Amino acid sequence: MREKETTIYLGPQHPGVTGNMMVKLKIAGDTVLKAETHVGYLHRAFEKLMEVRSWMQCFPIVCRICVPEPDPNEENLARAVEELEGREVPERAKYIRVMVLELARLASYLLWMGGQSGSAGLYTMPQWTVGDRDYILDLFEELTGGRVYHMYIWPGGVRRDLPEGFTDRVLKTMDYLEKRLVDYDRLLFNNAVFQKRAMGVGVIPKEKALEWGVTGPPLRGCGIKHDVRIDEPYEVYDKLNFVVPTYEGGDVWARALVRRAEFEQSISIIRQAIEKMPAGDYYNKVPNPFHWRVPAGETYVKTESVRGEFGYYVVSDGSLKPRRIHVRGPAYVHGVSLLEKILVGANISDVSFIMNSLGVCPPEIER
Amino acid sequence: MYEIFVNLFNSQILAMAVSAALPLFVFILPFALFAVLFERKVSAHMQDRLGPMRVGYHGVLQTVADILKLLQKEDIVAENVDKPFFNLAPYVVFVGSFAAFAAIPFSSKYIGTHAEVGIFYLIAVSSLVVAGLLMAGWSSNNKYSLLGAMRSAAQMVSYEIPTALVILSVVMYTGMVLPNHVGTFSLEKMSQMQTAYFWNWTIFGGPVWSVNKFLLIPFMIVAFVIIYISTLAEVNRTPFDIPEAESELVAGYHTEYSGMKFAIFFLAEYANMFAVSAVVTTIFFGGYQSPIGYLGNTLHIAWLVPIEQFFWFSAKGIFFVFVQMWLRWTLPRLRVDQLMTVCWKYLIPYAFVNLVIIGIITLL
Repeated sequence: MREKETTIYLGPQHPGVTGNMMVKLKIAGDTVLKAETHVGYLHRAFEKLMEVRSWMQCFPIVCRICVPEPDPNEENLARAVEELEGREVPERAKYIRVMVLELARLASYLLWMGGQSGSAGLYTMPQWTVGDRDYILDLFEELTGGRVYHMYIWPGGVRRDLPEGFTDRVLKTMDYLEKRLVDYDRLLFNNAVFQKRAMGVGVIPKEKALEWGVTGPPLRGCGIKHDVRIDEPYEVYDKLNFVVPTYEGGDVWARALVRRAEFEQSISIIRQAIEKMPAGDYYNKVPNPFHWRVPAGETYVKTESVRGEFGYYVVSDGSLKPRRIHVRGPAYVHGVSLLEKILVGANISDVSFIMNSLGVCPPEIER
Repeated sequence: MYEIFVNLFNSQILAMAVSAALPLFVFILPFALFAVLFERKVSAHMQDRLGPMRVGYHGVLQTVADILKLLQKEDIVAENVDKPFFNLAPYVVFVGSFAAFAAIPFSSKYIGTHAEVGIFYLIAVSSLVVAGLLMAGWSSNNKYSLLGAMRSAAQMVSYEIPTALVILSVVMYTGMVLPNHVGTFSLEKMSQMQTAYFWNWTIFGGPVWSVNKFLLIPFMIVAFVIIYISTLAEVNRTPFDIPEAESELVAGYHTEYSGMKFAIFFLAEYANMFAVSAVVTTIFFGGYQSPIGYLGNTLHIAWLVPIEQFFWFSAKGIFFVFVQMWLRWTLPRLRVDQLMTVCWKYLIPYAFVNLVIIGIITLL
């Protein structure tokens, strides 16, 4: 029997969609025949906005590009400006930056764990992980004054030095998270129903992955070892000892395993960074921001974020304001073109499940 | 119960009305009030939270406050819904789950009807729920509602088959226990048959001490597992809550409902949860029989026995409701095709084989 085709509009107000975006699905029975992503509900014109702001005023803007992980954006812009200016960054600041980036990665992975299991109908996990994420946000609050948007990493180093006893509290939180990971395993990763749901769903073919521009955990879930932190090390990642986990399969399950393994790696990176952190200066002061001209030139910097490769193309014409800042976000690739491809043939139950596993972040798609 | 009221009022119609309304006010409403709060507390404590804490001591009056709120809410009926069916659907669903309570023996003195075909009747009336859900989904004129309703119809109809097969095997087995080898459909007789003390329960092979009793135990456990899984699916609880899957279908068939109509869906869901737990309790776990003997019998206080029975029945039922909640907060839901696989590829064949084996053992 030929089933009748129906069109349903998943989002932007739908509990299963990861944010302000809409997926128009053409379905027959339970199978998706065609998916079309519609974005534009959250367009804030950040790239244009930054062209009329001074360099320093760009920092509160970039951290709002992707709400769950603001730090890779700050890191990118800071590093781009440093490259254009040739500004030296103190060694201590580099270690602090790595620590902050990895803490942000942990916070973001906790949020992902909640989202992934929430979209599978397990609502205990989000309550646990979002609760545990609060401990990391508390650390951020102490360090930077902000819980979500930090504006902490900026050209020349970081905004403040670590408060007294801060590293001890970080290490304590790491011990706690490591203990909690056992509970997460029990509830989610060793759960037979979750494995059944995740295996063989949302498969990205290995040979197509690079062609489609997939990066980050989805690419490593295809068995391709690619990580900016290893391939083109920035800050002090080359001095730290960690592995990049890869899993074969390219499905939701492989991506979940990659993220779970990276969670452990991040904890280890934070411990190493704290151990090796030298004393000294934390900030190579920039001149008065209102008269601060960045030398003309252009550069492209990239960071490994939770969702994948975050790249910034920055052009300066030597004036007080940037000429152009272009953001290459992983969610744009994953959430628009890749999503449309791999949703075809999927079950309608799996749409939000797949969206979560790709790390689709609508604010970042639109900027 | 009905006979007592006939004597009291001297009118059959009045007696019928009162005895029909009794389980609603004596059991279902207080149970729903309790179960909603219980579910919130269970989920909260599993999730490192406290749950409702503000209304009354530790939030005990939270559901009362919620119901008062729902009563005051505007009853929104969207413009393009099919109004007669939209308005009727919640009551059809509720009638389906409510009517099931007529055949449930709460104690030896308290049962809605002494119908001989008790369990048969129960399966039949609970199918009315499916009609109500379809009505709700279709008349809402909303694609998510329709999808949810179609899924729940498919799911409930499929899972009724393993349930019925297991019930059939238990009915067959009652022929072995009851005098003259005449089996029974009556839930009341099934409860009576499993006399006090837990080793007489059907899951432990029944009250007759013979080789058959011990042979039956493993197959009765299999039968219990099958019926418990399929009743979970029949009442749309996780891991089978696909009709209400939030991340896919918003709220399934009751997406468009608000106010009291939504509350009635909710009430029906909780009533259903208890109804299926009661069936499982009655056919496998001794019904209203106490697992450890009666205090009333020891002390020679005759009126204490039915009260104890009522207590044990509710306690067992609520325990199975708790297990349903426990599963809900620790398991993700299955995909819709996996759900059908579980039913048609595993539960139904196993239930069939189990039916045959139990049949052979009973004949031995």
